[in-house]
Amino acid sequence: MSNIIGIVNYGIAGNIHSIKKAVERAGGNTLVINKPSDFSLVDKLIIPGVGSFKDGMQELENDNFINPIQEFSKPILGICLGMQIMADLGFEFGKTKGLGLISAEVKLILCDGKIPHVGFNKINVKNPNVLLDGVENEEFYFMHSYEMVNYTDITALTKYNNHSFVSAIHKGSLYGVQFHPEKSREAGIRLLSNFIKL
Amino acid sequence: MTVRIIAKLDVKPPYVVKPVHFEGLRKVGNPSELAKKYYDQGADELFYIDIVSSLYQREILFNEIEQVANKLFIPFAAGGGVKSIDDFSKMLHMGADKVVINTHVVQKDPDIIDKAAKIFGSQAIVVNIEAKKWENYWECYTDCGRIQGQKDVLHWVKEIEERGAGEVLLQSVDTDGRCRGFDIELASKVVNLVNIPVVVSSGAGSLEDIKALIEVAHPSGVAIASLLHYDRVTIHDIKKYLNNNEVVS
Repeated sequence: MSNIIGIVNYGIAGNIHSIKKAVERAGGNTLVINKPSDFSLVDKLIIPGVGSFKDGMQELENDNFINPIQEFSKPILGICLGMQIMADLGFEFGKTKGLGLISAEVKLILCDGKIPHVGFNKINVKNPNVLLDGVENEEFYFMHSYEMVNYTDITALTKYNNHSFVSAIHKGSLYGVQFHPEKSREAGIRLLSNFIKL
Repeated sequence: MTVRIIAKLDVKPPYVVKPVHFEGLRKVGNPSELAKKYYDQGADELFYIDIVSSLYQREILFNEIEQVANKLFIPFAAGGGVKSIDDFSKMLHMGADKVVINTHVVQKDPDIIDKAAKIFGSQAIVVNIEAKKWENYWECYTDCGRIQGQKDVLHWVKEIEERGAGEVLLQSVDTDGRCRGFDIELASKVVNLVNIPVVVSSGAGSLEDIKALIEVAHPSGVAIASLLHYDRVTIHDIKKYLNNNEVVS
């Protein structure tokens, strides 16, 4: 069985290099998706995330990637912004429509700590799933100013200065993590390996 | 939250060097070997700064950066000689997660912070500050501590925060490379002034120095160079010491 992990290359902001390297380390074969027809060649999809909600959506639109992602029926893993843009609406640099795959909104983190929230932090698993198998007690690297709100299909929360936010989600074939598995040492590689084996 | 312990590589390609007071460069090793070494020791992040790129006004050596990035599965910030949105984009595509900028924004075009933050997100923009203490203020320096930037550090940090920088790397021209402790007064002031994370560098000479900095100034991260380069301590030693002494920011 072929098992090719497509990595969506959108815009100038992506960290394709890091993701590709980490997926390969986790034992996966990768294909960087540069055009709409590439989506049919892959078995799973990773939407990376570096950049702002607004520019990210704009880039996906320019590349004609919105429909292929919305229609992709196999597993998708959104990382950081890649998870956030699965939501209906984002509030980074104005109000922007997201991919609308899940019913949620993305807003600036409001808490007592410094923003962006940067650094290794624990996840508190609320609903165990295959993606988080074996990494429940590990720390992951976070680097974000925005968080997903008004959402219920949560698999893990993370606490930052007494503020709890959504750090992992799962709904059907959609998976999302607010942290960066590609920057989280062996724990991140394990998570990616779990995704590859889905 | 736990303070990030960051290994900082000051690079004069093809070598990691270590200046004292930002001058008198000594070779300490190969960038990708040292990066791997500090990754294995448990570094939370790695900073790579080409310290002569701006000074010599030459192009950024992206291949060098890519080679270092290839060894790591932790966050990697790279800088030195960044002058354009295109430079930001290339750095990120070579495997950097954050781009460090100083000289260009101090001397010529601070607007690039706003533009880059909008395109890449604030989290990808680290503004490096090379502070020098005068009688009653700190001045921003550029070109690896060579040129006076004629900006007051405490005004400048507020400005860059408003422009959309996601992090400050605070270095001190006075204490850098001397291994005699940090400029804690400066660090405290900067941490208190801004809401974005502040990574403090320049001056770690002992585990006690790091502890003192964290307990007084509460930085988000500490970047360490000499202490690691000369194998006086490992990152593992630092983390264990801070943990045993219950030091948190």
